[in-house]
Amino acid sequence: MDRGKVIAPHPYLPPPVAAPNTDLLFGRLHAYWRALGVSDPAQIAALSEQALRRAAELPDTLGLDPLARTLLAASELLDDWLAQGSELPRTPQRLAAIRAALLGGVTPDWPKTLFAPPGEGDNLRDTLAEATAEPTPEPMPSAMPAQPIDLFSVLAEIRRLWQKTPGA
Amino acid sequence: MVIGHTLRRAVFFILIAVTTLLALGLLVTVFHTDGLSPIERVLLVLYAILFSWICVSFWTALMGFWVMLTGRDRWAISRHPGTPPDPAAPPPRTAILMPIYNEDSQRVFAGLRAIHQSLADTGQLDGFDFFILSDTRDPEVWVEEELRWQDMVRTLNGKGRIFYRNRPENTSRKTGNLEDFCTRWGARYRYMIVLDADSIMKGETLVEMVRLMERQPRVALIQTPPVPVNRESLFARILQFAGSIYGRMFTAGLNFWQLDESNYWGHNAIIRIQPFLDHCGLPKLPGREPFGGEILSHDFVEAALLRRAGWEVWLAYDLEGSYEEIPPTLIDYAKRDRRWCQGNLQHLRLALSHGFNGLSRIHFIMGVMSYAASPLWLLFLIATGVEAFIQTQRELVYFFGQNWMPVWPVSFAVEMTTVLLVTLTMLFLPKLLALLLLLKDAKLRESYGGMANASWSVVLESVFSVLTAPVLMLFQTKFVLAILMRRAVGWPPQQRGDHMTSFKEAALAHGGHTAIGLVVGGLSYLYVPAFFWWFTPVLLGLALSIPVSMLSSSIALGQAAREWGLFLTPEETNPPAVLRYLAENLQDDDAVLPALRDRPPNHFVQALTDPYVNALHLSLLPERGPPGKRRRHYLEGLIHQLEEEGPDSLSAAQKRDLIAEPETLLRLHALFWSRPPAGAALP
Repeated sequence: MDRGKVIAPHPYLPPPVAAPNTDLLFGRLHAYWRALGVSDPAQIAALSEQALRRAAELPDTLGLDPLARTLLAASELLDDWLAQGSELPRTPQRLAAIRAALLGGVTPDWPKTLFAPPGEGDNLRDTLAEATAEPTPEPMPSAMPAQPIDLFSVLAEIRRLWQKTPGA
Repeated sequence: MVIGHTLRRAVFFILIAVTTLLALGLLVTVFHTDGLSPIERVLLVLYAILFSWICVSFWTALMGFWVMLTGRDRWAISRHPGTPPDPAAPPPRTAILMPIYNEDSQRVFAGLRAIHQSLADTGQLDGFDFFILSDTRDPEVWVEEELRWQDMVRTLNGKGRIFYRNRPENTSRKTGNLEDFCTRWGARYRYMIVLDADSIMKGETLVEMVRLMERQPRVALIQTPPVPVNRESLFARILQFAGSIYGRMFTAGLNFWQLDESNYWGHNAIIRIQPFLDHCGLPKLPGREPFGGEILSHDFVEAALLRRAGWEVWLAYDLEGSYEEIPPTLIDYAKRDRRWCQGNLQHLRLALSHGFNGLSRIHFIMGVMSYAASPLWLLFLIATGVEAFIQTQRELVYFFGQNWMPVWPVSFAVEMTTVLLVTLTMLFLPKLLALLLLLKDAKLRESYGGMANASWSVVLESVFSVLTAPVLMLFQTKFVLAILMRRAVGWPPQQRGDHMTSFKEAALAHGGHTAIGLVVGGLSYLYVPAFFWWFTPVLLGLALSIPVSMLSSSIALGQAAREWGLFLTPEETNPPAVLRYLAENLQDDDAVLPALRDRPPNHFVQALTDPYVNALHLSLLPERGPPGKRRRHYLEGLIHQLEEEGPDSLSAAQKRDLIAEPETLLRLHALFWSRPPAGAALP
């Protein structure tokens, strides 16, 4: 074995880019928006601008590189619009369920409806409410107490016999 | 009616006692010529236990034969008129539960869809909800389950009727899984029908079970007899045939003497939820495993607890349309035995506990005996061999004392042969009786392929069971000993689908059996040749275990046997709609969801990359607070490992940890999209 030779492992994810240029940022955002179902280039450009602005506002505590932070911001933007559009409480699970309903293909042209002027997006809200998964019904808690089982033991039997003996 | 119930049980147990005493009497006559040696005493005790165990099956079968011959049992639960339900009461709601643990998702959901379709055919779908209660730990299977659930909901318009949840911790295994359902949602329903991952039930049967419960307010549980179906391998088809043709008779017999004090087999049963909540919370048994700790085989205990509280438990032997799938090979069958063995042995302690009904104790003892019988048979065979060897070493003495006439040794060949014939009759007569029952019903006879084919199938099944019995005896003896020596018995998921046993697998599993067969065969042939010939069925089974195990796992042989009309069952010759639905669902696995239809190679990566799958998975995670500092550091480490070494470097548990935490899931989604790895199919 050649102990002097060090094989640098090829990382699974490419290394992060400390200062990504605009092309790289817009390129990744473009790909992500398309994956979410946005196809209009003008809309993609506008949404990407918004995502970049939001990324700058995100706290630095997440430990994400700038590119990942921008994509997280894009994802959060979508959640914001969905929360506004569906007028639902903003719990992560609930929002994720609505996002899943949206991305599941119930409204193929969702950007058009979601970004429609006020009053025209009602249809989307109803469609999403209809398509949102309901994994479990509301709980109705009940008790199920552990039942005592009086196991056989020789000692316990002797004790029982002893207690039964008159005068014991 | 209560007197009638008692009378039936009295007759049953008297018959067992009398038959055992008669057989024992014959054996004592043989042994007692020159006093009982210690080994003969051991043989007598073992024979008494084992023969009475055979008698339980024999008389159960005979009673079942009588019921089937004369028509239906007038005290069967299905024949009770009961009380009509209050028309003012709200209609019952029933939850159909399928607890799963790392199962084949495609099969699980194809089965559930088939049950749903069959229930829809009855027009009674509104009274039922479906719950997929997942305890799955494998992240690949977990994500696939979620997608298949969502696909099923969409296809069957099942929102608000078909539910899914994955427990964060699988505490107390299946018992804990069901308890979690009962305590969270049980109050919403009057009944629950518990299924197994491979259970299939007809819609009509489900509706009938609810109807029976509605008319019998004192009944807490009705068990249906699940008929084995759907397997293709020779091994499984032989077992399916046996389960079908003999099973009908045995379950009728069981109901004949157990009546309202029957048992619960863990699935394909309907349970009244309120008494189950009130009386079936299982405690941890004091002491260490194998007899202490969590109750593993919960079903028997739950039935006993319901009986202890005064509720009735029935076996609806005549309720058809209840199916299950069995292990496809001899080795898988033994693996399943290994899982069940520890739970059943634990019942030994419960059988002697205070407060349980007499028949519940019998159920516990029967559970123990279904595994303890194997080491006892082995001991019996060893003791017989030793006794035979001792007999061969004796020199015959013809002249005693002053006698000038020789005293000829008394031959007990007739008695010995009688003992053997009685034992064989007890074992094989039920098979013949089950065959005879076919003569009564032409339609049923045809569904087994006609009388000639059914007869050949019974003969071949008997030969096969003779060959495999010694192998199972050694397997089960090994399991019992391992458990008694406190060696861990894991609960690996069963390999349920048809597959061939390779030579390597067979040699590893049966190498020891073959060696034992050859060595014992050689020794007995050399030193006790007379015994050798009596022993050949056992020796042959062991010596041939490798080829028998391999050949019987063959799907081609199973299918060929089917073409020859062998081991046919009514479910094969004329499958009910629900089984046809299952076959169609498995064949046309056409998903509505693109995320499922595209068959991604890695569901874990899909949950991180596909925005839809990521969102769906996140939406199904239970709400909980952010992870603590230590946990955060642990997850951080896993993220770095994933970044550097890829998903294959992570264990299933580590992958699960990553996708079980919402914040990490979102973070990884962003990471994968910002720096797509090669081969992740991201643009």
